[in-house]
Amino acid sequence: MAVSVEYVTRETATNLWRNRLMTVAAVLTVAVSLSLVGVSLLLRQGVAQATTQWQNGVNVLVFLDAQPAAPAAPTAQQLTIQQQLLQLPYVKSCIYRDQAYDLAEAKRLLDPSAASVLTAGTTPASWRCVLSQPSEAQAVAKQFNRFPGVAQVQYPQKQIRTMETVVHVLDAVFLVLAVILLLSAAVLILNTIRLAIFARRREVSVMKLVGATNWFIRIPFMFEGIVQGLAGALVAVLVTVLLHVVLDHFAGHNATSLLYRMRTPAGDVAVTAVLVGMIGVVIGAAGSAIGIRRFLDA
Amino acid sequence: MPAVRAGSSPFRADTTMIRFENVTKTYKAGTVALNDVSVDIDKGEFVFLVGPSGSGKTTFMRLLLREEAPDQGRIWVAGREIAHLSPWRIPYLRRNIGCVFQDFRLLPTRTVFENVAFALEVIGRPRHVIDGQVPQVLDLVGLANKRDNLPGELSGGEQQRVAVARAFVNRPLLLIADEPTGNLDPATSQGIMRLLDRINRTGTTVVIATHDAGIVDQMRRRVIELHRGELVRDQARGVYGYGT
Repeated sequence: MAVSVEYVTRETATNLWRNRLMTVAAVLTVAVSLSLVGVSLLLRQGVAQATTQWQNGVNVLVFLDAQPAAPAAPTAQQLTIQQQLLQLPYVKSCIYRDQAYDLAEAKRLLDPSAASVLTAGTTPASWRCVLSQPSEAQAVAKQFNRFPGVAQVQYPQKQIRTMETVVHVLDAVFLVLAVILLLSAAVLILNTIRLAIFARRREVSVMKLVGATNWFIRIPFMFEGIVQGLAGALVAVLVTVLLHVVLDHFAGHNATSLLYRMRTPAGDVAVTAVLVGMIGVVIGAAGSAIGIRRFLDA
Repeated sequence: MPAVRAGSSPFRADTTMIRFENVTKTYKAGTVALNDVSVDIDKGEFVFLVGPSGSGKTTFMRLLLREEAPDQGRIWVAGREIAHLSPWRIPYLRRNIGCVFQDFRLLPTRTVFENVAFALEVIGRPRHVIDGQVPQVLDLVGLANKRDNLPGELSGGEQQRVAVARAFVNRPLLLIADEPTGNLDPATSQGIMRLLDRINRTGTTVVIATHDAGIVDQMRRRVIELHRGELVRDQARGVYGYGT
């Protein structure tokens, strides 16, 4: 049985307009909660971006002099450096990353213009070491910085560690807030739909009497919920993208600033936007489906 | 001489519109609404269902529309057994049954035309069908000149005519009416009855639950009487009460 587009559009618009105050409340709640979800997702991506180098508990990066041939295995000199590193009591283990790997990572982390001048022959290979006492990272750096064959030693700056902790806490707080707000958004949508159906219960009973199918009755109301969820999600996407643009602007081109390290590629932001939109639709559909159920039983 | 017919004759799908076979319906509080009722109604018949309040007339109607399912027994409507109909088929059953109620059940914010068109719209009939059929049926009930009025602007009799038009616009096989004249004065009631009679002559089976004795006595059609959920009389060309 065909449900005409014209019918659904007309009924959905009528319902939204009749309950405009509740509709605005539902849309705003969805918008606020999904903005939080969006920002927290963005934050996560930024932190992931800034800390790529420090994955797997790596505390110290010992960059080695670049070899033009870009060998896949450590040279004799480089193996000596490893031995020296492991002799330190607080160095637990060291893994080798060849020049090709480091080039790939640099391309991910650096500005495209800066990365374009790099080649495998000019990018240093590295030892990535895990310490039993991360606080000794500075000592390792001091000792090995002028070691023959070593180009540079890097260890995570204090600000990255602090940021990680702060972001962790923020993330948890945002998540809890977002879940609570999303739930209340669903309940608000459910309530709007229920009001809409209650206002039209005569029509619904006549529809059932003359043989309208449950889906025919349900679809305009479900659309109403989905429109509310989607409208809220659109606002949230706008907020998220705007925040991204503003932060990007502040990050400028200072490669050492924290914001610069956290810059997220536009593609990731788009994924976040789509995700936020989908959550909006699901919340709207679920809220309205539950709201209708009671009226269609029996 | 009341001739009591039991629903025991062989079932013939081509001539039988409604068959109740040992139907029992009890409500939660233990009230027996219908007790072992068996009855056949043929296609094209015009039947009055009479009895005092609480005799089971309304339950009979609700079972036909499948707003309720019987506790025991089986019910056929237009050749289909409906006591065990799966829920998603119920709307399609109702498309074959037009119904009219004492309280009209019109939508107050829609015009006469829109009220009748609504019945076709919600079962997915295309616009051109609606625009063709609605004026036709409004003509039949004598309200062609009121098509743009709201129900509140009409008299009770006129409102019931709109309800009849809505019930009949889809050309159902069966039209059922629960106390259709309950809110109307005798003269208006007669008008509604004449209308239902005309609809019956187009071949539609008509079942009317009523306790309007005047109407029943005047029409002299088949009368089925229920009393406390039991079928106590089934009489061709009957009257409302016993022995009158």
